[in-house]
Amino acid sequence: MSRLNAVRQNPTPQNVPGSKNILREELKNGAKLLSFRNSSSPAVVIRGYLNCGAVAETVDKLGTASLTASMLMAGTQKQSFKALNASIESIGASLYVGAGSLQTTFAGQCLREDLPKLLSTLVEVLDEPAFPPTQFDRYKMQTLTMLSIQAQDSFEQADLAFNRLFYRDHPYAHPQTGTFETVQNLTRDDLVAFHERYFGPKGMAIAIVGGIQPEEALQICQQTIETWQRPRQETMPELPTFIPLETAQREHIPLEDKSQTDLLMGTLAPETMSRDYYACSIGNNILGQFGMMGRLGNSVREKAGLAYGIQSELSGGIGPVPWLIAAGVNPDNLEKALRLIRKELERFLSQPVTATELKNSKTQMNGRIPLSLESNSGVATALLSIQRYGLSLDYFSELPAILESVSREEILTAARRYWDLEKLVITSSGRAY
Amino acid sequence: MTSNLQQFTLSNGLKVMLKEIHTAPLISHWVWYGVGSRNEFPGKTGLSHWVEHMQFKGTEHFSGRQMDQAIAKTGGYWNAFTGEDWTTYFETLPSSALDLAMEIEAERMRSSRFLAEEVETERTVILSEREGNENEPRFRLAEAVQAAAFQEHPYRNEVIGFKSDLLAITREDLYNHYRNYYAPSNAMLCLAGDFDTAKVLKKIEKFYGAIPESPVDKHNPQPEFSPPSYQQIELFGPGEASYIQVAYRCPQGNSEDFFALTILDSLLAGPSSLNMFGSGGISNRISRLYLALVDKGLAASVSGGLNANIDPGTYNLNLNCNPVVKPDKLLKKLDQEIERLRSKPAPKNEIRQAQKQAKALFAYGSDNITNQGFWMGYSCSFADYDWFLNYVEKLEAVSPEAVMEAARKYLDPQQRVVGYYLPKNGSSHVQA
Repeated sequence: MSRLNAVRQNPTPQNVPGSKNILREELKNGAKLLSFRNSSSPAVVIRGYLNCGAVAETVDKLGTASLTASMLMAGTQKQSFKALNASIESIGASLYVGAGSLQTTFAGQCLREDLPKLLSTLVEVLDEPAFPPTQFDRYKMQTLTMLSIQAQDSFEQADLAFNRLFYRDHPYAHPQTGTFETVQNLTRDDLVAFHERYFGPKGMAIAIVGGIQPEEALQICQQTIETWQRPRQETMPELPTFIPLETAQREHIPLEDKSQTDLLMGTLAPETMSRDYYACSIGNNILGQFGMMGRLGNSVREKAGLAYGIQSELSGGIGPVPWLIAAGVNPDNLEKALRLIRKELERFLSQPVTATELKNSKTQMNGRIPLSLESNSGVATALLSIQRYGLSLDYFSELPAILESVSREEILTAARRYWDLEKLVITSSGRAY
Repeated sequence: MTSNLQQFTLSNGLKVMLKEIHTAPLISHWVWYGVGSRNEFPGKTGLSHWVEHMQFKGTEHFSGRQMDQAIAKTGGYWNAFTGEDWTTYFETLPSSALDLAMEIEAERMRSSRFLAEEVETERTVILSEREGNENEPRFRLAEAVQAAAFQEHPYRNEVIGFKSDLLAITREDLYNHYRNYYAPSNAMLCLAGDFDTAKVLKKIEKFYGAIPESPVDKHNPQPEFSPPSYQQIELFGPGEASYIQVAYRCPQGNSEDFFALTILDSLLAGPSSLNMFGSGGISNRISRLYLALVDKGLAASVSGGLNANIDPGTYNLNLNCNPVVKPDKLLKKLDQEIERLRSKPAPKNEIRQAQKQAKALFAYGSDNITNQGFWMGYSCSFADYDWFLNYVEKLEAVSPEAVMEAARKYLDPQQRVVGYYLPKNGSSHVQA
């Protein structure tokens, strides 16, 4: 096998985004711009976020942030639904807005000559949505239809149950799309009020990447994004302190006519981009990602043939987020799969990963950097992470050294801080058992 | 469109396509085999897909785990896909790891092991994959509609195969399928990215040139040109959600009509992205069916699906119904829109808009080397690389009259399959 190991390491690419080629500017209205040029691309990608999301909802109005974001493209004070969407689609551009727990996010793409048009439309939909009453009824119906589809989706049901058990009285416990009852009760006035209170450029960030000079992107932003003013924008409520569970939790959501059961198991993850986060990222890669799904894939899929898909995932984000293991298994094999996963976790927590595993994972994670930055959208997502987590502009050049500094023992110590096999949250959904 | 593509054929019959792109220190290496569910027989459905799985289990010199770890260590990724007409394997890696991709794929072309015990563990993995698909109502509906859309042609079968076949297929079935179809003369090597063509040709000769030529006994089914006369299928499941899928016969990918039908699809259901590796799409809110069905509150979403195949396949329209609307009413509205396309040419500005959208989607995929590698092989699986190079130009040449003719020829209400997936216990609040 020596031949397969004789691969030279990837040389450091010359065009990795960094302080020398990323433009970062604060616009006069407080919005932050990050821009990077990809000279080979005829297109431009935008990605961004606003500082408002579902945590500002009351429990009887769940789904407000999500429906508000969806309806921004339903028409503005200046343009009807059809005119607005025709202005974007007819030039082959796209513009999507959605809401998460803490942020409303937007994403778009266009040919480079159409960037002024895309950004002026973005400002229009963010600042002057009309929430047309007839469209409101349709969007609500679409949301209710999606909820009825979700009600029969085994992964979605396992995920909703996991969040409910894991977060309990924390706002992250609530479904971001809302429930049948809360969406049914939402009114157009709820959306108008939510938009009025929380939308604005304070806390906004936008990344622009593609075939455009960053200075030109800045000029276009000064003529578009910078004109958006919202002096009365309110800040989001602070997240309450999260207290991790003291006992194990297990719940199965039965669904008829399902051939497969979806399974989730998890614990609290380290704070994103903390020192523990890097140690646990490498550990997670070894546990359930490296190659074809790491140690878990080798045990549950390759050796036992119990699952087509199994992996572990260290979530990122602001506030408490879970470290998850997810699998889809035949209902008859659910308990057997759980035993194998638990056995792998016991091994993961009882002894350090091997030196070879550590070396291989570090090499892989370093090698992934140029691949993740290959496309315009990959770079734009990376620039937003730099802004969101307050990282250095040279983060991608510094990352290899950070990963290299992590030791086997540090991974074990960090993983033990987060995984306690007596306090796991386990949910599943599929055939009743 | 211009191209720096270079094409060669080795003495053993292996076709080679090379495209240098130096925007990032990456390569995307693809090997395409001319075998898929189209080449399978009743009782042996799913063979091609299962063979694809077995290709990750090990070869004469390398175990599956060794190959997997060697790829992972580079930071790159690999995967494989099985379609109706082809099976393909790719690696996107740092350009310094090109030899690794060639070494693995050359091994897999001639000496995969197919150990009996690994066939058995993979049987349960594939059954698990199928069970995951069966959890989705839309998979169950698509499988039933597809089966009704053809009388004999293997396009009637889902690529993953029927469960009864997956339980019965033997190690010998798999190995014989592999040995027959995985021959250099039935394969294409496509390489895009940061390399030097002259140097790479020597490597290709070194890794692939020594693989002996071997004959391929290829099962080529007779194309079916018309779907069965109108058929209706009803499936029932739990919950409130209901879906409709309508399948028409579409022309094969290398037909001139295919381009007119692509514009037609864009007008009806919105533009579809050509790119396999997430370069973003365009929403369909000004498409005719969105405005007639979703914007009128009759459906939650609508989409169209047109695939380029060797033989005539199906063009599908998919609707997520509003639970309070009778599905029949939805179908009637859909038919009105189809009739509008069949009865008069679409306005020129609507056609121009679809053409601009196609051009933009084409551009969005160009920043991704994996997409470039994919398109080299994919276009050659049913036509040739010129098909890809001339794609935008061909779409720009489509006239309103050609779209109307395509609608008349292919969207015949009497020549289609309509599938319904409905709530088992009836919706509690359906409107007349």
